[in-house]
Amino acid sequence: MSNSQDDERFSELTYRRQAALQMGGTAAIERQHQAGRLTVRERIGQLVDGSSFREVGTLAGTGVYDKDNHLVSVTPAPYVAGLAKIDGRPVAVGGEDFTVRGGTTFGSARRKGGQGGFIEDFAHHYRIPLVNLIDGAGGSVTSLKRRGHSVFPGVHGFERSVELLGEVPVVSAVLGTAAGGPAGRAILSHFSVMVRDTSQVFAAGPPVVKRSLGQTIDKNDLGGAKVAVDQAGTIHNSAESEEEAFEQIRKFLSFMPSNVWEHPPITESTDPVDRRDERLATIVPEKRTQAYNMNRLVRMVCDEGSCFEIQPTYGKSVITMLARLGGRPVGIIANNPMVYGGAMDVHSARKQIHFMELCDTFHIPLVFFVDVPGFMVGLKAEQEGTLREGMRAVCVAGKLKVPTITLVIRKCYGMAGMATCNKNDIDMKLAWPSAEWGSLPVEGGVAAAFRKDIMAAPDPAAREREIEAELKPYASPYRTAEAFAVEEIIDPRETRPVLCEFIALAEKRLRADVGLKARYGVQP
Amino acid sequence: MSAVEIVSPVTGTVWKIERAVGDKVEAGDVIMVLESMKMEIPVESDAAGVIASFNVEVGNSVDEDQPLCVVES
Repeated sequence: MSNSQDDERFSELTYRRQAALQMGGTAAIERQHQAGRLTVRERIGQLVDGSSFREVGTLAGTGVYDKDNHLVSVTPAPYVAGLAKIDGRPVAVGGEDFTVRGGTTFGSARRKGGQGGFIEDFAHHYRIPLVNLIDGAGGSVTSLKRRGHSVFPGVHGFERSVELLGEVPVVSAVLGTAAGGPAGRAILSHFSVMVRDTSQVFAAGPPVVKRSLGQTIDKNDLGGAKVAVDQAGTIHNSAESEEEAFEQIRKFLSFMPSNVWEHPPITESTDPVDRRDERLATIVPEKRTQAYNMNRLVRMVCDEGSCFEIQPTYGKSVITMLARLGGRPVGIIANNPMVYGGAMDVHSARKQIHFMELCDTFHIPLVFFVDVPGFMVGLKAEQEGTLREGMRAVCVAGKLKVPTITLVIRKCYGMAGMATCNKNDIDMKLAWPSAEWGSLPVEGGVAAAFRKDIMAAPDPAAREREIEAELKPYASPYRTAEAFAVEEIIDPRETRPVLCEFIALAEKRLRADVGLKARYGVQP
Repeated sequence: MSAVEIVSPVTGTVWKIERAVGDKVEAGDVIMVLESMKMEIPVESDAAGVIASFNVEVGNSVDEDQPLCVVES
């Protein structure tokens, strides 16, 4: 890199920088590779644009000196951090160096990374996104002897991590076994991804679990992607490799502004805004009990290839994805009729809440593609607290400040239906001719409201059908449109042009609303 | 030649099997229909190929991610 004349002139600088680049040494690096993992410097190199990484704190570490106070060797700090560019935009990036003491126990009092570390201050100070490449196990009892005392938890706390969540996009990739502090930090982010099979996330690992509960469990069974991503939603997405994780990070950031004082970046769209897809006219089956592929429907409407799904394997009765309409970032929330008939359960409610808050914070307009029959019913749903989580979703939807458009594809019932619109603002509700809505569907409603009448009839089943047939016409969406209780019913093939126009219109509103979004009140 | 396992997208019941062993399918073709939560859920082939075998019959209860059939491409 530098020529030999510079090396001689600043030999100590050169020596110390070389030592930093060695990380934990060849053997440790080899072990990292054997475990199917990259070193932190390799990870940063693959994630960021070209050679845009400008390191800060390169010389932090622990020096060993001889009796004459001459430097014998220096071990770098177990963390690498600095400034870099992703898609030409500045980001703060840092990660544990697992090859140095497993990424733990900073030698110095002032830390580059971890909670309360320099890199978080850096992201806050310059108002730029933060990317955490997490590969460390967190606190260790080995510090006890070195420090001479035990540290009160939170002395190096999460205050800055929490503050950042309202200011700049924070992204975390879990690239090793994360427990304790690193696991906490991974979760204090707007988007998190882990590698299936080589990374784990848990509150505490197998040795602590064995000690506390007498339970023997393998670390991947306890906190691998199957549990942490698919079942618990602790981490949002999984990737098959570290390279794919970096791709997902770049994709996520491409929809985000650098901070909440800016708009999301608009890109040139090669997909014409007036594209009318004929398949939209027939994608919803005539038969109301037949499910269809909502994921495919949404992709027919959005800019070709622009969709990035968040939490695809968790809370599957709702689909949440970042996408573009006419080059402009939007947040899509679409009920999935293939899973529980689209009913909202505790997991899909939780997933929807996070996504709504994400888009509201970063000024990304929301488009709801609605086909929800209501909250999930039954004993398991009640035991899981579906109602409370569902009402929390209603509450968050009601507080949204970002422009939202509600497009009813088929069903929109009850309180879960309420979680798909925001009546505090213009409350733009569009619908397809296949739409139907109400407090509850006519079928279930008749059985409940006309029970006496039905039971008294000579043929109860026929009487029930008779009353249903009588009421059904009143449930037509066209009647609601006559009353202007829904803004417009559109030809499904017009969906893309209509949405593109309203999303483009939202730009003026977004300009007026940049900055921090206040959060107040208590969620149910 | 590779064998692609088609798994169930939901927990439900096998309601109708639309194709037979030996049938040629394209990616996206409906192989069977499941019933879940009173909805008919179509199960599509992930790949183009020939249906090699079925793991389930009409009336079986299936769990999410349970293998339903194998398509060889």
